[in-house]
Amino acid sequence: MFKDKNKTVMPSSNAGETIIAQGVRVEGDFRSQGDVIIEGEVAGSVETQRALTVGETAKIHADVKAKSAVVAGEVVGNIFVQEMLELLATSHVKGDVVTARISVAAGARINGKVSMEEGGKGGKVEKVDEEES
Amino acid sequence: MYCYLYDEYIQENKRFERELLRIENRLTDLGIAGKVSRLALFRDAQEMIRDEIERGVSTIVVVGNDETIRKVIDVVADNEVVLGIIPIGPGNELARMMGIPEGVAACDVLSARRVEKIDVGTVNGRRFVTGLTMPNFHAEITCEDKFRVTSIARQAELEIRNLADVTDPRDGRFEAVIRAAVKKGWGIFGKTTLKESILPLKSMAIRSEQPISLFVDGEEMKSTRFDIGIEPLLLKVITGKARVF
Repeated sequence: MFKDKNKTVMPSSNAGETIIAQGVRVEGDFRSQGDVIIEGEVAGSVETQRALTVGETAKIHADVKAKSAVVAGEVVGNIFVQEMLELLATSHVKGDVVTARISVAAGARINGKVSMEEGGKGGKVEKVDEEES
Repeated sequence: MYCYLYDEYIQENKRFERELLRIENRLTDLGIAGKVSRLALFRDAQEMIRDEIERGVSTIVVVGNDETIRKVIDVVADNEVVLGIIPIGPGNELARMMGIPEGVAACDVLSARRVEKIDVGTVNGRRFVTGLTMPNFHAEITCEDKFRVTSIARQAELEIRNLADVTDPRDGRFEAVIRAAVKKGWGIFGKTTLKESILPLKSMAIRSEQPISLFVDGEEMKSTRFDIGIEPLLLKVITGKARVF
């Protein structure tokens, strides 16, 4: 009743947060300084200095680097996570994983090597051949 | 030194006469009265302001609306003078976001002189403050020369936001927002929902084989290519306490 009718409320990302929603495809080297949420399609490479969230509908064909990550969708590529990687029940990873800490839910699928390295660094990772998968 | 720029529609419309008189009296009371320049059909606003700046004016106050601000933004930004706004009549979205009340109340905000530097966006060399919209988005975007973004939905729209209710126009970036209509379910039972992608960027290029329309601060531009960038903290503006950023 007392709301300002002229003021339009628009959803927005938090400062510097990137959202790649369903219906959008990103190709190339995607880099971000802030948090990244992916629900759409990405091909190339993904790198963020903060948290990465891969939603259930996401299809990522790229090497992924992040400070921390929660994966619920499909990732075809190697994953490097400095701190904590969380693979949810709906996640499907085809590639090698290098991380400091990991949590894998029942139902999550990983086809690749998992190396536990402090800071998610090091650990030789071979390139994923997409045709094989 | 202040220079007040009256837009043409204010001088022509009798209903603003009384309000203008009250504004002029209040400005005199506050000790910030200055020279009044009047925009007219065959008078170049940019040239008028340039002449005033040469005479020592340091603050240009637009008495009008968003359209008036668009006419002066280039010359104000290039000459590093301060922009003030006294909003009168409809179409004052920019003043609202700057926290400037309409009419005579704006004089007190001017007098308080809270100056903020804000980013200014550019599209094909033309400046904008609030943003751009592309209602029918089916083009390819190249972001910061590093990655490409395309919509794979049947229907999508693109919005570029520099100054909006939810963005900070002082961060050296603009937000590219893609709203794609995504259908869930089959046939007549399918439900279409709008999914919103948000990308904070410093530059982007839009390419299309067919000419496409882009609305810059409400005005239409047509081309097959648009280069969009940002000029960080270029514009000095007097803002009110109620500003949105």
